[in-house]
Amino acid sequence: MSAPTVEAPRRVLAWRPGPVALAGAIAVALVIAGELLSPGFAGYGQLVNLMRVAAFLGVIAIGQTIVIIAGGGGVDLSVGKVATFAAIIGSRVMAGDDAGIVPAVALALLVSAGIGLVNGLCVTLLRIPPFVMTLGMIGVVQGLILAYTGGQASGRAAPALTSLVNGRVVGDLPGLLFLWLLLGLLAVWLLRRTTFGWNLFAVGANRTAAELTGVRVNRTLIVAYVLSATFAGLGGILLLGYTESVFLDLADQYMLPSVAAVVIGGTLLAGGIGGYAGTAVGAIVLTVLQGLLTTLDIGGAGRTVVNGIVLLVLLSLYGRQRRLRS
Amino acid sequence: MSTALLEMTGVRKRYGGVQALDGASLTAVRGEVHALLGPNGSGKSTLDKTLAGTVVPDSGEIRIDGAVARIGGPRDAHALGVAAVYQQLSIVGDLTVTQNVVLGLEPARRWGFLDHRAARDRAGAALERFAAAFSGRLPLDRPAGSLGPGELQIVEVAKALARGPRILVLDEATASLHKEQVEVLFEVVGELRAAGVLVLFTSHRLDEVFALCDRATVLRNGRTAGTVELADTDEAELVGLMVGDVPHRAPRRAPATTGAPAPTEAFVGAGPEARPGAEAEAEAVPGAEARAGAEARPGAEAVPGARLEVRGLTTERLRDVGFTARAGEVLGLGGLQGQGQSELLLALFGAARVSAGEALLDGRPLPLTSPVRAARAGVALVPGDRGRQGMFATRPIQENLSLASMRRRARAGLALGAAAERSAARSMVERLRIKLGSLADPVSTLSGGNQQKVVIGKWLLDRPRVVLLDDPTKGVDVAAKEEIYAIVRGLADDGAVVILNSSDNRELAELSDRVLVLFEGAVVEELSGAAITEGRLVAGALRLAPGESL
Ligand SMILES: Nc1ncnc2c1ncn2[C@@H]1O[C@H](COP(=O)(O)OP(=O)(O)OP(=O)(O)O)[C@@H](O)[C@H]1O
Ligand SMILES: [Mg+2]
Repeated sequence: MSAPTVEAPRRVLAWRPGPVALAGAIAVALVIAGELLSPGFAGYGQLVNLMRVAAFLGVIAIGQTIVIIAGGGGVDLSVGKVATFAAIIGSRVMAGDDAGIVPAVALALLVSAGIGLVNGLCVTLLRIPPFVMTLGMIGVVQGLILAYTGGQASGRAAPALTSLVNGRVVGDLPGLLFLWLLLGLLAVWLLRRTTFGWNLFAVGANRTAAELTGVRVNRTLIVAYVLSATFAGLGGILLLGYTESVFLDLADQYMLPSVAAVVIGGTLLAGGIGGYAGTAVGAIVLTVLQGLLTTLDIGGAGRTVVNGIVLLVLLSLYGRQRRLRS
Repeated sequence: MSTALLEMTGVRKRYGGVQALDGASLTAVRGEVHALLGPNGSGKSTLDKTLAGTVVPDSGEIRIDGAVARIGGPRDAHALGVAAVYQQLSIVGDLTVTQNVVLGLEPARRWGFLDHRAARDRAGAALERFAAAFSGRLPLDRPAGSLGPGELQIVEVAKALARGPRILVLDEATASLHKEQVEVLFEVVGELRAAGVLVLFTSHRLDEVFALCDRATVLRNGRTAGTVELADTDEAELVGLMVGDVPHRAPRRAPATTGAPAPTEAFVGAGPEARPGAEAEAEAVPGAEARAGAEARPGAEAVPGARLEVRGLTTERLRDVGFTARAGEVLGLGGLQGQGQSELLLALFGAARVSAGEALLDGRPLPLTSPVRAARAGVALVPGDRGRQGMFATRPIQENLSLASMRRRARAGLALGAAAERSAARSMVERLRIKLGSLADPVSTLSGGNQQKVVIGKWLLDRPRVVLLDDPTKGVDVAAKEEIYAIVRGLADDGAVVILNSSDNRELAELSDRVLVLFEGAVVEELSGAAITEGRLVAGALRLAPGESL
């Protein structure tokens, strides 16, 4: 056969912006719009602050990305509650004392992972739809929180944790941003350079084929839910470092934004396509948008409407891109 | 007849880094069955699609009946009387057969509602001619998803015919058909020819091409290599035109060393330390390795001691199947398609519910409970339905090739080295001559035959001990077929048991040491050695007694 097997150079002109680039452009556009509408919005300090807020969402959404990539309607609605629970455990165990940090973080993450394990086992072995399972899990964790705290959160972040999260490092940037970068790189590595990551994408892209290729489908899914809950717990701990003391619904509101960040980042809800870089940008887009709406003093209904419109516009843009490509 | 009905000239189409069509041309007349041939990825499907309006070429001219045809979309093609059956089926599983056939046709509407009676009549008329392929009863009201692959393909053809085309494109429409269904299709094509329709026919089975077509245009690398009258051409000439200057390998059994690369090259990327424990397991059966190496395959006398032993295997669609296979044996599965061959392969891979029976691999029980355990035990499966079972369409070619074997190259079973994965994938791309732009492209951008090569290639990297092949060369071009045959023999020479199901009796006859003929889920006959001829296979499939003529 005469067909050569050379890899032809890719044509630069054929390049079309992918979802990540599009979302990035939206983030920049929002910042510029903010600066125009309210000078000072794009100031250095203000931007650093936005990034810090985005970091919590970004970390919690790592696990959400993993679960959504696994496909089959995979989603983890319990991330917010799990993050709250982890922060509550952390604060109580470390009780404002540096010596308590290690056992506190270890216990909080262990409990989170356990919750993820239950999610994963129920989704795979009992075949409970992920949406239903993780929604139900919110109630279960809420019960655990009440039982654990008796309705009154206690303890305090250890000073070391607070300075790790809030302390200024290079260029006046808080340590939190470096932690986010580190965890983000870990997530990207996990998805793109490990057998787990490739198996995960395979399971999301075609579950039957994955099975017939010898991929441990159930194990991959269970690990995905464990990771999701663990990263959520980590997000909760970081949030604790930021707020120093906890309340009973500390991170609950991250549930829907974590899914939105993943989707804005171009990960397909159907599974099998996506990645963490997009999610990180998605978290930034959402945070900048909230910042802008706050600055413009748009609240309540207006805010919800704007959020919805941004999401729809982005998704329709992605749909167009996909059609152009195929 | 004198003026061409269809004239395509200078058609170009580029996808990213791949020049799919590079000035291809084709001229065909009314009442002709015109074959469009060429290696995988040579641009046949792309040329068909430019005619059918689903791909807009970068440049080029299409004339129909002498007039320049401006085809900007499927509707334009439809208006010009072009209907196409694509390699990738377009049937919607949730709709009934009737709904599928009339989809987009929108027959008589009353008050804006679809007239079901009219729709059903129309679908019935289109499917009527294929009645024989459905054993008499047309499945008009059944959901299309419940049909077998061959029946789906027929419905797809009927759907095109319902549009009353002047030009009908059949792109590998026979790849998933049984022999009997092919015959029905050929009859219909004959009628169309008599009615003055131009049929463009693409197939990698040359016997079909010679049986059906009048002329053939051969594409190579997106360019037209020539057009020939099939009556004045023999197979060797045609193949020569397709493969170009590269000398074609002798099609019949050749010692695995001549021409074909050494069999061990099938395992590139799998170092000697690959599959830890394989050696130890082999040692558990004294002499297993030695036997595997020493055995000369063709015609070798049965050596006591089997590598794979299957007893009383029973599933929903298999009845008490038992056989033994020696190391290095290629065991064919014959019979009409759909008699349990695919099910047997799935069962051996742990992917079918086994109600009774067992299998021993090298004397140890082979778990039939999960594909993971089968794969870990050294069993590989190339499934019959590439799109549904074999391929991760949206994932890169790289991942598709790596998935089955990456575990062994990974550090600590987790960390993948980009370079190691790339070189493993490249070795397969070169060995199977997969035509691609970049390893990072989704596998769905490959041509049909090249996708099939990827599905096979992923297992070759895994050094399997039992290789289960379900119609492995479906849609694969002549040269690559030989390559795959050489690899299958190489695997066998290295001691693997190969079990091959094929809808192509020629392929079965060429590759198998022994053939089990299946009928309704049971083994009804066994052919071996010189008894494996195409004639005997057909007779066996139809359950004729030996000597009885067809
Ligand atoms: N949508 C696409 N995106 C990128 N590349 C494509 C696309 N469609 C086709 N190609 C490339 O164009 C080339 C020609 O493909 P085509 O499907 O026409 O081949 P073919 O001759 O039909 O092969 P086969 O015999 O395997 O079906 C291939 O190399 C393929 O990878
Ligand atoms: Mg094709």
